Amino acid sequence: MQLSIKVDKSFGAFTLSADFTVTGDRIGIFGTSGSGKSTLVSILAGLLKPDSGEVMLDGDILFSSDKHINRRPEQRRIAMVFQQHSLFPHLNVRNNMLYGYKRCPAEYRTIDFDTLVAVLKLEGLLERGVTNLSGGEKQRVALGRAILANPRLLLMDEPLSALDDSLRFQIIPYLKSVSEQFGIPYLFISHSLVEMRLMTDTVLAFEKGVMTCQSSSEQLARNLMGQSFSGYINLLKLGHPTPQSGLFAYPWGTSQLLLSAGSDRDASMAELSSKDIILFKQHPEAISARNLLECTVRSLFNSGNKIGVELECSGNTLIAEIVQDAVNELSITPGGTIYAAAKASAFRMLPA
Amino acid sequence: MLLNDSDLQAIWLTVRLASIVTAILLVVGTPIAWWLARSRSSWKGPISATVALPLVLPPSVLGFYLLLAMGPNGPVGGLTRVLGVEPLPFTFWGLVLASVFYSLPFMVQPLQNAFEAVGNRPLEVAATLGASPLDTFFTVVLPMALPGYLTASILTFAHTVGEFGVVLMIGGNIPGVTRVASVQIYDHVEALEYAQAHHMAAVMLIFSFIVLLALYAWRPSARNLLRRG
Repeated sequence: MQLSIKVDKSFGAFTLSADFTVTGDRIGIFGTSGSGKSTLVSILAGLLKPDSGEVMLDGDILFSSDKHINRRPEQRRIAMVFQQHSLFPHLNVRNNMLYGYKRCPAEYRTIDFDTLVAVLKLEGLLERGVTNLSGGEKQRVALGRAILANPRLLLMDEPLSALDDSLRFQIIPYLKSVSEQFGIPYLFISHSLVEMRLMTDTVLAFEKGVMTCQSSSEQLARNLMGQSFSGYINLLKLGHPTPQSGLFAYPWGTSQLLLSAGSDRDASMAELSSKDIILFKQHPEAISARNLLECTVRSLFNSGNKIGVELECSGNTLIAEIVQDAVNELSITPGGTIYAAAKASAFRMLPA
Repeated sequence: MLLNDSDLQAIWLTVRLASIVTAILLVVGTPIAWWLARSRSSWKGPISATVALPLVLPPSVLGFYLLLAMGPNGPVGGLTRVLGVEPLPFTFWGLVLASVFYSLPFMVQPLQNAFEAVGNRPLEVAATLGASPLDTFFTVVLPMALPGYLTASILTFAHTVGEFGVVLMIGGNIPGVTRVASVQIYDHVEALEYAQAHHMAAVMLIFSFIVLLALYAWRPSARNLLRRG
């Protein structure tokens, strides 16, 4: 998918001025509230008319002020999953899902209803009214409805922000797998860097109506580490835990991590902030932190007034955050060996 | 028999009038209510005020102006003359036209509230799913606004049944043509036929009570509409 946008749109004191071309199937739009990301998405869907400029999707002009083209939203084949599920309350689950499908020209109908229902695990809910569904079920129905419209691009405007943490991480695999399985490129909008890293490859970051950078989601997270209150969030894929001395021992790469939280799940994911990692130049004789890992320094990078240290530990990557004085004192250089410590309570399990 | 033939004729005429007016206002009121619910035009205020005028205007004032408009020198009278149709004053269809104006706010305001309650998002969702604006109206807006339609229809019907002043001004008192139930009661009282007046009045009272009871029982929020109305 190739998307080219060069538009201006003003509302009172706010002006969105976007000018970019991006290629890929998993694109992210990142920004805080008021950055203009939702305005951009509305323009792309045709719900908002830009003051001037041009919007092109795969060479097809959707809007052009010079050529006086403004394709109506229903003619663009761009479906949207909104922040709130926005299901039609007078239709049951099946008819909500089929709403776009019935209106899609026959030549574009490639997605099979039953297959999608199975992927989204909605088999038992099809005849139910939508008001009786849980928040996660509603968002899955909304996702299914958008996918069944057989769009050439799917816009997801903060689809997880109305959900609590446990539901949020339950929905992410659906969002990813459904789009990938049915070959629909998507634009994922969020103010969460973790969601960006889980969902997208390329991210366009917006601030006050202007695009500030286009990079990989991983690179953006590193760039913003120094100014983020929570630092860089390491996302750790863990194996099946075993209880150990009141803690839980999780296999992680070739070693293991001790966490104070545990579950019976086979595969889990945990967050560890770059701010919660302490580095030692030599092996400390004894420390209270339950996790001490011997690591190799892979690289150093600047982010704000902080230094990010990329470590290779047990076949995995960790990012730690320190200040320049600490770099000097510990003589940290790429290729050197260093010890990283983290408390068992510093990890945050992501709900599966 | 509590009601004589003339009473039954008046009741039938009233029901026919109220049904036709409600049907016309469903068609005419929908686009007006839709525009009022969606528009940001500077005309919204004046149009809203015009639609609401019958709520505060004495029926005789409205009747007087409508009579002038339908008269030989009025715009409607001119139109009927050009079309070769009989003049509307003192006819059933004149009464229908006057009632459409008089009951307009009882249809438009509940519909406007219902459309506003639907909001913008369902329309946007439908558009991104490939539905045209007309398709969206019939498949999303109309079903979501259905309670508003029922409320508006009941209020319009009941209000038309209860008309008196406008009916007298436009329709006069012609049996079988313009003599509706409220005028029939007035006639009975004028003729000192209090027993007949009682019977007709009781029918009207029971009808009005049942309509309001049904409305309240079915939709508590209708109370707000009535208060506003």
